[in-house]
This record gives sequence, C-alpha cells and structure tokens, in this order.
Amino acid sequence: MTTAIICQPQHYVFHPDNATGRTMDPVNNVTPMRKSKEEKKVFRKQLKSSHTLLKHEGIRTAQQPTKSLVVANGGLGNGVSREELCAALNEMGEVETLLMPPHKPYAFVTYRSQESAQKAHFHLNGGKLMCGENGVTLYLSFIDSVSHEEESVFAPLPDGLLLVEDFVSAEEEVQLMAAIDWSSSNDEVIGACVFDTENINQLSQKALKHRRVKHFGFEFRYDNNNVDKDEPLPAGLPDVCLPLLERCIKDGYIDIMPDQLTVNQYQSGQGIPPHVDTHSAFEDTLLSLSLGARTVMEFRHPDGRVVPVVLPGRSLLVMKGESRYLWTHGITPRKFDMVPVCDLKSSTHSGHDLETNGSLTLSKRGTRTSFTFRKIRPEPCRCAFPSACDSQGPPAPLPPSPPALPSCPSDAARLEQEFVHQVYDAIAYHFSSTRHSPWPRVCHFLSTLTPGSVLVDVGCGNGKYLGVNPEITAVGCDRSSALVQICADRGFNAFVSDALSVPLRTASCDACISIAVIHHLSTQERRLAAVRELVRLLKPGGRALIYVWAFEQEHNKQKSKYLKDHNGKQNLIKNTSEGSQEPCEYPSKCSDGACTPTDYMPVTDGKLSVHTNRTAFNTQDLLVPWHLKEGKRQEEKVSEDTGKNKRKSNKASVNSCLSSSESPQSDSSPSVDCSLSRSGTNTSKTTHSLGSNPLSSDGNTHPSKLETSPAPVFHRFYHVFQQGELEQLCAQVSQVKVLRSYHDQGNWCVILLKEELH
Amino acid sequence: MKLLTHNMLTSHVKGVTKGYPLLIKATEVKVNEVEFNPQFVCRMIPKLEWSALVKAADDLGHRQDLPAELEPDYEKNEDLLKKVHRALLEVEVVEGSLQCPESGREFPISKGIPNMLLNEDEV
Repeated sequence: MTTAIICQPQHYVFHPDNATGRTMDPVNNVTPMRKSKEEKKVFRKQLKSSHTLLKHEGIRTAQQPTKSLVVANGGLGNGVSREELCAALNEMGEVETLLMPPHKPYAFVTYRSQESAQKAHFHLNGGKLMCGENGVTLYLSFIDSVSHEEESVFAPLPDGLLLVEDFVSAEEEVQLMAAIDWSSSNDEVIGACVFDTENINQLSQKALKHRRVKHFGFEFRYDNNNVDKDEPLPAGLPDVCLPLLERCIKDGYIDIMPDQLTVNQYQSGQGIPPHVDTHSAFEDTLLSLSLGARTVMEFRHPDGRVVPVVLPGRSLLVMKGESRYLWTHGITPRKFDMVPVCDLKSSTHSGHDLETNGSLTLSKRGTRTSFTFRKIRPEPCRCAFPSACDSQGPPAPLPPSPPALPSCPSDAARLEQEFVHQVYDAIAYHFSSTRHSPWPRVCHFLSTLTPGSVLVDVGCGNGKYLGVNPEITAVGCDRSSALVQICADRGFNAFVSDALSVPLRTASCDACISIAVIHHLSTQERRLAAVRELVRLLKPGGRALIYVWAFEQEHNKQKSKYLKDHNGKQNLIKNTSEGSQEPCEYPSKCSDGACTPTDYMPVTDGKLSVHTNRTAFNTQDLLVPWHLKEGKRQEEKVSEDTGKNKRKSNKASVNSCLSSSESPQSDSSPSVDCSLSRSGTNTSKTTHSLGSNPLSSDGNTHPSKLETSPAPVFHRFYHVFQQGELEQLCAQVSQVKVLRSYHDQGNWCVILLKEELH
Repeated sequence: MKLLTHNMLTSHVKGVTKGYPLLIKATEVKVNEVEFNPQFVCRMIPKLEWSALVKAADDLGHRQDLPAELEPDYEKNEDLLKKVHRALLEVEVVEGSLQCPESGREFPISKGIPNMLLNEDEV
C-alpha cells in the first residue's frame, strides 16, 4: 500500500496525510515517501474502513484487483460532490460508472479496464481529496461488483402544488429585495430569547441563528400561529409587489388579491420547521416567491411521504388544496442540499423531470429571500382536510407526550431502558471519546487505597478509572455492553451488569466507586437501592466514593465548567420553536432537527422536560440532550469530565469536550459540510472514520431518523441532586458513616465508610 | 474474562444461596502475555478464593500443577507466583458462558466479556 503522491490537476489538490517534513521532487512532481510508517498507517486505516463497510453496509471487498472500487469517505454523505470526485477519478482512466448513493459516506466507481482501477487504487488510496477548503481522506478497495440501483429521486409533487420558474425577471428581483428594510425587522420574535441588556449588544454583533422575518398587511403572531385580523398594519403591501401580484391573478394562480405578505430571509444554514399554514388565518392559495439562492423545501404528508422540491431563484411556488391544507412544508437548516444533477445544469428544468439520470450532487446554499403572499380568511375554515384544520374537527395531534416520572418499578426500568441504557449503547464510542480525563479528586481517592486492594467501579463507563492505580486490583461493571467492550479493548477487567444487582459476593471489596451513575436512576427507591448495593459489596472498614450531578451548578459563587463554557453567562434561555409550532417538549420527535431547543418548564405535572445544555437546572428530574456528532466539535456538558489533566491533553486530540463555546442552538443546524473531514489526525476510533453519518453501533436507535439525516439527538434521564440529598440517602443505609462530603465541579460527592461490626 | 474476574463473580439469581463459584463453559480460550509483577501477585493471593481459582484453571486446562491448597511461604516461591500469574491474568475466556451452580442459569461470555444481566423476573 502506498500513500498518494502530490499532483496538481486543475480541480483538486492531492496530498498525503502528514506531509510535514517532506520535500518535493520538482522533476517528477513527486514527494519521496517515508515508506514504512506511512504505509502501515494507511494500510491499517484501509483495513478498518473495509471492515466497517462490511459490518455496517454489507459491502464486501475483493481480495484481487477488479474493475470496480468502493471509495470510502468519498460519498455524498461526507459532503463530497460528484464533480470533485469525478475529477479525481477521471484522471486515472476511463470511468464507466460512478454511483454515489445519497447520504452514504462512500461511492462506487467502475472503470473500463482493470488497469485503470488499479491505477486509481495506487494513486488515490490514503490520499486526501480537497472539497472546497477542506479535505477528506479516501480509502479505496476493490469490490466484486456494483449493483446499479439508482434510487428514484423524483417523486410527483403533492396535489395542488405548482412551481413556476422564472416568474420574475432579474431586475424585478433586485427591486423587490431592495424594497425591504431589515433594520426594523423584529428578529427577536423568531426563536425568541429573553435577554438582559448585556446580551442584546452581544446579539447585534453576532450573526443571528435564525432566519429574519418581516410582515406587511397584517402581523403574523408566532405565539398562536395566527394573524391579528383586527389590527392591520398601516402600510399595506409594498407597491413594488403589485405588478407581480397582478400577473398572478391574470395567469390564474390566484383569484383574489392577497392582503398579507411575510418576507423571510434565510442564510445558509437556516431553515424553518415543517408546518401547515394555519387554516383559519388564510384562504386557500398561498404564493411564495423565491429570490436569491435556490433551496430545497420538503413537503411531508401525514402518511410519511416526503417530497423534496427544489425552489430555484425567481420561481413562484403556488400552494393550493392538499399541498396547502394537509402537507407540511419546511426547510431543513443546512448549508448544502442534495439536488438532482440535471437541476444544476439547466435552470429551466423542473426538479421532477422523469429523466433516467437520477444522479444527485450537492448544491451549496446561499442567501434566499422569500415573499409569501396570502389572503386573510375572515371566517372559519371549511376545507376538505379537517384533520389538519383548526376551525373544524379535532385539534391537530399534540406532540407525543413526554415521559412522566415512573410510578412503579417496571415503569422505572422502562424509562431507564429508553433514556439511559439504549442511549449509552448508541453513543458509546462518541461518549467514550469525551471521557478521557480522570478527575483529580477521584484519582486521589484511588491513590489512598492500600496496594493489593480490590476495587469495583460500578458504572465504570469506558474504564476511565480502572487503570489509575496500578497497585490495586480493579474490576468494573457497566450496564452498557458497548462501553464494557471499550474497557475490554483497553485490557481492563469488566463485565456487564446492573448497578442494582452486582454479581459480586457480599463484603468482597475493599473499595467501591460509583461516578456519575446513580443520578440515572429514576426513583428515590432505586437510587437508595444502588447505594445499598455499593455498601453490601464493601468489606467492613471499606470505603466507597459516590459522585452525582448537582442541581446547584454554582457553588461558593463559582460556576461549574458546565455553565462557564456557555458564554460565561448563566441565562435562562427560553426558546419558542421556530415560527410555527407550539412549543414541543420533544425536539427529537419533531419531523426534523430544525426545531430549536424548546422551553423547559418546571415539572408541575410529573412530566419530564428537556434541558438546554450548559444552562442552570431548574428542575431535578430531566432529560439532557446528547448530540451525536462525528468529528471535532462537541457541545455536550463537561461536568462529568472537567478534571482535565493537562498532561494527558494529547489524548484529547480531536474530540476535546471543552471546545464548545457554541450555544446549544447550533446543534439544530446540521450541515453536510466538507468540514467533517479528519484532516489527518484521525483518532484511533475508526468507527468515526467514515464521514458524517455516524455508523453507530446498530444504527437503529436514532430517535430522529430522517430523510435528511441531521445529527441525531439522544436524551438521557437525570435526577440531579440537591445539596445534602446524597448524604440523606446514605444516612438511610445502616452500618454506614459519611466520612466526607463535598462539591466538585458541578457534582455532589460523598466518601462512605462501611463500619466494622461490633 | 480473566480468571481473576471469574474469581470474584457470583451468581445473583434470586433465591440462590450457593451461587459461587460459577462454572465455566468455554468454547474459546486464549492466553495473553502479561508482564509479571511478583509483588502484585503476592498481594492478590490472600484476596482470592484459592480453590475456585484452581478449579477454574483446571477446567480450562491451564492448571499447571497449582496445588490444591495454598502453601505458606508462597511469597518466596517464584515458580508458584508465575503460575498464579498465568492462571489469573494471562488465561482468558473469550467465548463461552458462566453457569450458576445452583439454578443452572447461564450467563454468556462474548468477546471476553461476561454479561451478567438478569431478566426482570430473576432479580
């Protein structure tokens, strides 16, 4: 296996990983290679990539060279466009076919001749393909055959939907955009935050996270998704719109002159959650004019059908009937859309041409401004779609009701199964990569154990503490097989078990630790039972250390790192959902990840609300989001891992958990950027190596499984402890004495002693 | 699963009183090389159930003549310590199961990891 050589054709730049210290041979345009180390590394990675492809995608690589290759990391799912990949592949020989399955982190190429395929393999394997400013490292393997199943990318448009291209001229487009004065737009309304004055200043400097909106004719209210029909806005619709509206009437798209206009401006990465325009607010026909950059709008039918519709600039979208009353429409916040190739080539093609070439490619988003014209409906709606109608029939289905606190043991077990165990199994690798630094005070406890002591770590996770003190015998157990597997991979002794029933003999351990575990138990009884179990395991005279997440994230006027990393502010961030839905308590159950984090409400009815990461807690029982992401950034809490040991910082490498100054909202901007590449410092966990879509352990535990695959969000249940609560719990266990109790970086901690019997 | 872990594990099926030691049924065993630390082994021995270790090693074919009873002065017996080291830390059950001696319930070992989870009705 070889590393790629540097070559400089027009479309792409190719260079091997870790190219430092090399000099170019100017004659041959080749860099001499440090063979053995680089070669071995590429070979290893290629092997791993082969295994992952087989394991997760069922793609079997061939032992002998063939005409076809699978190009791992060279897929639409990685943000690699067809054009960029083609350019690189074409250099190697005549390409017969290039198949790029949508959303996948790989592509298949078949060359005319085996020699060409071999040449491609030789030159491109292990090399970096630049897409834009970023690069992905490609790994090529021969495969026996490629099944040519082009997915049908063209679905018929929803009933009542009509797209009219080139509806306005370029001049009109300029005039219309110029007519909007954004300085007076009420940006704060959308995705509203409650700010103090300090923050307003901060906001005006930052790019806003949400689209800009301006209303004319009547004010649209986002609190009830309706129009205030009694308060028309003084100005009416801008004059500049009249000619095009008259054209709409003349061409028969609408019968009556609209009297309400909403202008939305979307930057790349912004969107609007799926919604149906309120029936009672507006009459049937809605007209939406798209100006500026093209985008993709998704229509969703209640039966699950999703139809993506490309909206080119200067096109008019006419929504009537079923497409207006029943299908939802929305724009996923993204920076790239996948569009059919023919759409790029010719702007006069509609997205639903039934051509045989169903290939997809990436289209980068730009700023888009939409003018949506509507007619106010004076009387209740009497449409033919009562299920979606707020004037008729039953109210729209509520978002699925969030879990309540359990009232019986089996409820508790079920809650924990869904919101703890399944989640950890799904996020294990990602989670483990963020839990790399043992906390100093835990390490201190471990260092005080007599050499030869037997320690059990209940809820050991990735085994972080099992190797800290080499003089003791340490055994770990965890509920997650995936995490225990990581322990085993590291050479630690570990087994899978539940904290409530540990299969070790009574009084068999000199010490126990349980770090950030029992706050996952959903009832007080179970938390108590967990403490009892720890005590049972201890020999008389033995000690246990317990850490749980604290309700009070601020202690002695010091904020925990968990809070500090959120712009240093401890604001209560209140978000209404973006534009059109009632606040839902379950962003992951909305149709797509476009919903911003929601209101979190105090538990007044026993229901669990979703916490906004890096803010203060205002309830003890809650669900905390985990955003499963590939690659560097990681906006998750750090209170479980704030004892960052500087000497071990080299291990932190790509997945530093302290990197985030990002606010949680940015999680709802999934992007199929090229910025997902590893840039050569691929960490050892090569389950991450195949691009943006995490090929997580079983791939089927994503609660928000979507067409458009934004980063999945998981929710974990926590009961955060108040000051003194942990001690109180321990006080209920006999033969136990609390030796010490303290606050450590957002956690309440106790050291217990199991007393000798008298 | 190393025999060190096995030495600690017990069956926790509800109602079982004689759940220790678990019977090992191995279908795949491997031997790793682990650095020998005589001091560490010495300190571990008093914490072990000696007979359970001997039986387990025997069942796996790695007894290496470990005596049925631990002699005094084992600290000075480097040969013995090495054998203990090998049995405890180097022999590993990769695939198989652990069986509760009283109830017969089997706990699977897969990729070296015993899964001791009980079903709701067994707890």
